[in-house]
Amino acid sequence: MAAVSSSPLVTVDPVTAKLPIAEIGEIPLIDEAETFASITDRVARVTENKAPRNWWIAFIIAVSATLMLFSAVGWLFWNGVGVWGNNSPVYWGWDITNFVWWIGIGHAGTLISAVLFLFRQKWRTSINRFAEAMTIFAVICALLFPGIHVGRAWLAYYMFPVPNQMAIWPNFKSPLVWDVFAVSTYFTVSLLFWYVGLIPDLATLRDRAKTKARKMAYGAFALGWRGSNRQWQNYERAYLILAALSTPLVLSVHSVVSFDFATSVVPGWHTTIFPPYFVAGAVFSGFAMVMTLMLVTRAVYGVKSIVTMQHLELMNKIMLVTGSLVGYAYGMEFFIAWYSGNEYEMFTFINRATGPYAWAYWTMISCNVICPQLFWFKKLLTNIPVMFVLSLLINIGMWFERFVIIVTSLHRDFLPSSWSYFTPTIWDIGVFAGTFGLFCT
Amino acid sequence: MSRREPHQFPAPETGANVFWKSLEEKQDPASFAKAKETEFPFSLKDANVIKHADAVEGEGAFDRRDFIKLGAVMTAALGLEGCIRRPVEKIVPYTRSPENVIPGVSNHYATVYARRGEAVGLLVESHEGRPTKIEGNLDHPSSKGATDLLTQASIMDLYDPDRSTSPKKGGVNTSFEELDAFLADKIKSHDADKGAKLRVLSAPTNSPSFLRLRELARTRFPEAKFHTYTPVDENNAREGARLAYGQAVHAIYDYARARVILSLDSDFLQTEPGSIRAMRSFADGRRLRSPSDTMSRLYVVESTYSTTGANADHRLRIKSSDVERYTRLLAKALVAEGVNLGPVAASLGDHPADGIPPQWLKAVAKELAGNRGRAVVVPGSRQPASVHALAHALNAALGGIGQVVTYTPVVDDKVDATGDLKTLLADIDGKKVDTLLILGGNPVYDTPGEAKFAARLATVPTSVHLASHVDETSAKCTWHIPRAHELESWGDQRSLDGTWSIQQPLIAPIYGGRTDLELLARLAYGDDKGQDKPRAGFDLVRDTLREKSQAGALGFDKQWRNALQRGLLTGSAPFAFTPTEVKGTDIAAELAKPAPGAKGAAGTVEVVFAACPKKLDGRYANNPWLNELPDPMTKIVWDNTAHVSPKTAADLGLVSGDVIELAHGADKITIAAWIQPGHADGSVTVYLGWGRTAAGRYGNGKGFDVNPLRTFAAMHFVDGVAVRKTGDTYKITQTQDHQSMEGRPVAIDTTLEKYKETPNFAQFRSPTPKTLPLWPRVDYSRGFRWGMNIDLNACTGCNACVIACQAENNIPTVGKEQVGRGREMHWLRIDRYFLGNDAAEPQVAVQPVACVQCEEAPCENVCPVNATAHSPEGLNDMAYNRCIGTRYCANNCPYKVRRFNYLEFQGEPLYGDIPESQKMQHNPNVTVRMRGVMEKCTYCVQRIQETKIASKRTGKPVKDGDVVTACQQTCPANAISFGDLNDPAARVTDLAKRDRSYELLSELGTHPRTTYLGKIRNPNKEMG
Repeated sequence: MAAVSSSPLVTVDPVTAKLPIAEIGEIPLIDEAETFASITDRVARVTENKAPRNWWIAFIIAVSATLMLFSAVGWLFWNGVGVWGNNSPVYWGWDITNFVWWIGIGHAGTLISAVLFLFRQKWRTSINRFAEAMTIFAVICALLFPGIHVGRAWLAYYMFPVPNQMAIWPNFKSPLVWDVFAVSTYFTVSLLFWYVGLIPDLATLRDRAKTKARKMAYGAFALGWRGSNRQWQNYERAYLILAALSTPLVLSVHSVVSFDFATSVVPGWHTTIFPPYFVAGAVFSGFAMVMTLMLVTRAVYGVKSIVTMQHLELMNKIMLVTGSLVGYAYGMEFFIAWYSGNEYEMFTFINRATGPYAWAYWTMISCNVICPQLFWFKKLLTNIPVMFVLSLLINIGMWFERFVIIVTSLHRDFLPSSWSYFTPTIWDIGVFAGTFGLFCT
Repeated sequence: MSRREPHQFPAPETGANVFWKSLEEKQDPASFAKAKETEFPFSLKDANVIKHADAVEGEGAFDRRDFIKLGAVMTAALGLEGCIRRPVEKIVPYTRSPENVIPGVSNHYATVYARRGEAVGLLVESHEGRPTKIEGNLDHPSSKGATDLLTQASIMDLYDPDRSTSPKKGGVNTSFEELDAFLADKIKSHDADKGAKLRVLSAPTNSPSFLRLRELARTRFPEAKFHTYTPVDENNAREGARLAYGQAVHAIYDYARARVILSLDSDFLQTEPGSIRAMRSFADGRRLRSPSDTMSRLYVVESTYSTTGANADHRLRIKSSDVERYTRLLAKALVAEGVNLGPVAASLGDHPADGIPPQWLKAVAKELAGNRGRAVVVPGSRQPASVHALAHALNAALGGIGQVVTYTPVVDDKVDATGDLKTLLADIDGKKVDTLLILGGNPVYDTPGEAKFAARLATVPTSVHLASHVDETSAKCTWHIPRAHELESWGDQRSLDGTWSIQQPLIAPIYGGRTDLELLARLAYGDDKGQDKPRAGFDLVRDTLREKSQAGALGFDKQWRNALQRGLLTGSAPFAFTPTEVKGTDIAAELAKPAPGAKGAAGTVEVVFAACPKKLDGRYANNPWLNELPDPMTKIVWDNTAHVSPKTAADLGLVSGDVIELAHGADKITIAAWIQPGHADGSVTVYLGWGRTAAGRYGNGKGFDVNPLRTFAAMHFVDGVAVRKTGDTYKITQTQDHQSMEGRPVAIDTTLEKYKETPNFAQFRSPTPKTLPLWPRVDYSRGFRWGMNIDLNACTGCNACVIACQAENNIPTVGKEQVGRGREMHWLRIDRYFLGNDAAEPQVAVQPVACVQCEEAPCENVCPVNATAHSPEGLNDMAYNRCIGTRYCANNCPYKVRRFNYLEFQGEPLYGDIPESQKMQHNPNVTVRMRGVMEKCTYCVQRIQETKIASKRTGKPVKDGDVVTACQQTCPANAISFGDLNDPAARVTDLAKRDRSYELLSELGTHPRTTYLGKIRNPNKEMG
């Protein structure tokens, strides 16, 4: 059993049964039979060959879901936010739950690609591209929500500091404005990071291209990459800088997202533990999502030799760590609520566990705290069906975590006269399901 | 009041199209009529979410092609969204400006409303000829500037889109010319037999003109009969007074002077006549300035949990049919206390005291007897005449007459209304009626089931109904005449104390309606006497005044003008009836009679027919504001229910929402049950006025019609009703579904005794934090510092302020389904909490909550776009056109007073707008908010600005009382005060500094500008 460090950023000590390669003191992450050529070939083939039948099926499903997203969003714009289940006092429901969830998903991508890069964790290379792409699409999905959840989406640009004749600026005291900056920065950096990382690969594809159109297209995106030593040097430098830029973003973005809640007066939101707790939760859910997708990709494209069991095991261990951190945060919230002596605070937490939304709370606890503990067992840690199911459960659990934080805190706040219950509508579900389509497309 | 010449509006040409009649109706009446059936044609019901949601879920309703189409359209639409331009709307200025009309500046005119025997003096705000808001007339003794919720809401009735627009003959539209010709012929035809086959049915009235014209008509048609009927009547009270004094009188109680008040099933704070007057004086009797002040004590004996019961210090819940037994037992206990009841004492009879705790006889009798001259017994109009007579005897014996009870004669005291309707029915059966003229009212709907009015009406050869809507009765009559709204009519009224007021119209009849007076004048003055033109209401009212009142030194024209301006006739008030002595022997004789109405068998319940606080008898059924107003006690919207106590519900195996059948003999109704804590066991309360079928788009099919269960013998309550569960359930929607305060310091109350011990009990429970602020606090010590104070001791929870706010601030209604989703829009709500551990007998605390205008507003910090920000005067302002609708402010509002336009509640051109007529009600000084925008109370900032502008223009500084918010203006209890907290002389400054003042959720450090005065209850220790 590997030693588990307490920080999510420092990962696993790669000690395994295999003997390390003498020259570099490391054990190979992939089968020794694999060569650069074989890997290039295997990876490039994915884009060059005709897409497999399974891919088409998956793609059609995804496009349909995206179409559903557009329909649902169109319907939303046509009628107003009232098509969702949001009410008074639950002014935020699935919309912000989805936003926080998707942002959290994105975090794993950045963490894998940037943080692990900085820490020279070589095992990341098999999954980093994957994770980065996931980040981009997750952040796109996340960004959708603040845009569409507002009552008058066509005026959402008021949130940006656009110079205007009225000389009205955004309210810099508002955490939502911080959010705008944090998330847009995050998206830009993630996109650049992903793209810079892709440049040599695009060049490879360009070089292997058999048609003129492909050549032109990949050529344009490859930005004239020749693979020269100087280019590699600059590339490595740029990549390092972007990685260094992304790293604090992992912490800052979710901290800022947590400020949306932590700086408010709502009992259950107004908590100082939120920033670290949200970051841990983000990494937790992000890894779970990467895991889910990777296991599917591994099966569909047959790249088992690239994404090995060792990769999966290491990721599971991270999930175990972050899952335990999140569990600690849940416990600490309760303790602080009791310790504060604040009757509203205490009520909120007791209400979470025993009130009308207890079902959501206990779903969250079982998925996020209890399930990952199974990874203490080596057998389960390396069992693919188990980890697939667990990663799905963790994703569900993390979605519920956001739901619990947002909805159960809001539905019963200070004045009992306003208390209410939130029920989603078909359009809530449609938009959320639709984002999967967008994500997968 | 602005000065102006009396003006007779020209009547619109007959047959002329009125410009706001909707095009749809004109072009396709059939489909329009169908559209009217739906709850909200303008909102989501037609092309709406729900329908679509159903379609998606329904089998095959939404196929693959539709999905692709919708997806494609929506994808394209998303791309094109930025390209859509808003439609251009043109505004046109006056070419010739009418006198006194300044666009944007309102005029106020005095008028009067008839309301359950009381005349409510009003000042109506008018914008460019459009009345937009009704307020109380400060000079009028009946209202003293206040109004009730029905009055507030009635402005919407004026603009009701479903009002009748033309006369109808046999259900087919016809012209006013044809109508006039018909009336002339018909009336003339009755001259021959002196009107032997002519009948007129109307509601009891206080209008001197109506009475004068009726007398004239009687002279012309001596054989004709004039009947009165109204479903919520005062007949028992009149009968009781007749027993006690030999004459029907109104009793006016001075609750401010009284120290001990005993209500016998009387909801005098909400549904009884003169409730506005009662509320003011009741609140005055409990307005404590300091712990050394005294306050009145209210005992309430009732079955249903009423607003009055909610304000009681002690409340006894017994069946309405047991109230008489209680009154007799109490009278005996009073005799034991040495109160001299004379001959009445001997006829009280022997009654068991089961169900009545002994202290309710002994301690209450002791209190009443110990407060002679300051104790008053108030019988409810539901109670039989014997209870009223006995109450008169008790009040006389307790020395209350002239001290706390005064009497005024009843103006319209000709006949017993119910009996009178029975004579009419008998005459119809005896084929003695050729022509029946029904002036207002809706007897087909609101008469007891046993009257079978519809069937009988069908046998009358000519029936003419004057009504605002083509309602249930109009549909059965051979002729229908559109009735002008009270704000469109000339008329006059006498209030309970006799004050004579002129009802002047604010607008010409929008749909060319006629008034009761005009129609009655057709009977009074023959057309054959050279008066070929129908008389106008204006002349009729002036003639009455000229004839019946002394013009004095001023001369008639001056007197008339003065009456119009002030809203009342100076010197018309003294109208008192001074009783000589209670006729004890008559009362004793009545009490000796066996009580009518058998006691119910075991397993049956009593059913109480209560006037609905919102709809009274159903005449306000099509008012969307009233439909959506939460019931003061149950907080239910858009429905009436059968209230049962938790114990009775358990006995009958009912849960809230179960549909039950109530059967008494052959009469049956079905209605949804509602478990109401505090209701009497073995009793079921049903509200009148619901379940209309021809009320209009908002009123049709809402709630349950309970009239079929009423009988002439038991108009108000009936025992021995069998209850059966039908097995169906019905969705009931409330605005507040959590009833407990959870021990939080929200609506803080205490007892008088504890208040004396700890005068700052309220602040003590909700202390302001001593932590340092995050940023320097703004200095508001210069200029205005607006603040509000709400005295929870005065507030009765009547809900008038909620409607006033809605009318003033263009607040939309959203419909039952949206309220069910928690999206009601009321800026000002009244929270109602149940206190105590016994679900069967909870106390009630009410608390009006609107935006408290925090100085450190949590909502402002979190708005990303600065759409809500503080004004230099400390108002938490909303910039609607800046708001993008993130709803973060509402999440962060601890008071949850912000309201979000989740959908286009004000109508959307693409779905069909809200009716044009309803738009005319909008206050032009308040923005109509579109969907996606947050809104909330602004302390009526438009009124503040209006006053400041006026002050700037005249150079006179703004004084305390110059700015009056809509809620404050209407509050009958004067519980709300508003003003500048920097003005040391302002009432609000004084109140905010009182010992029982506290800030709601003060511990959050929000520093709200609205303060509350904690409620003081005054329990009697001997009651245990």
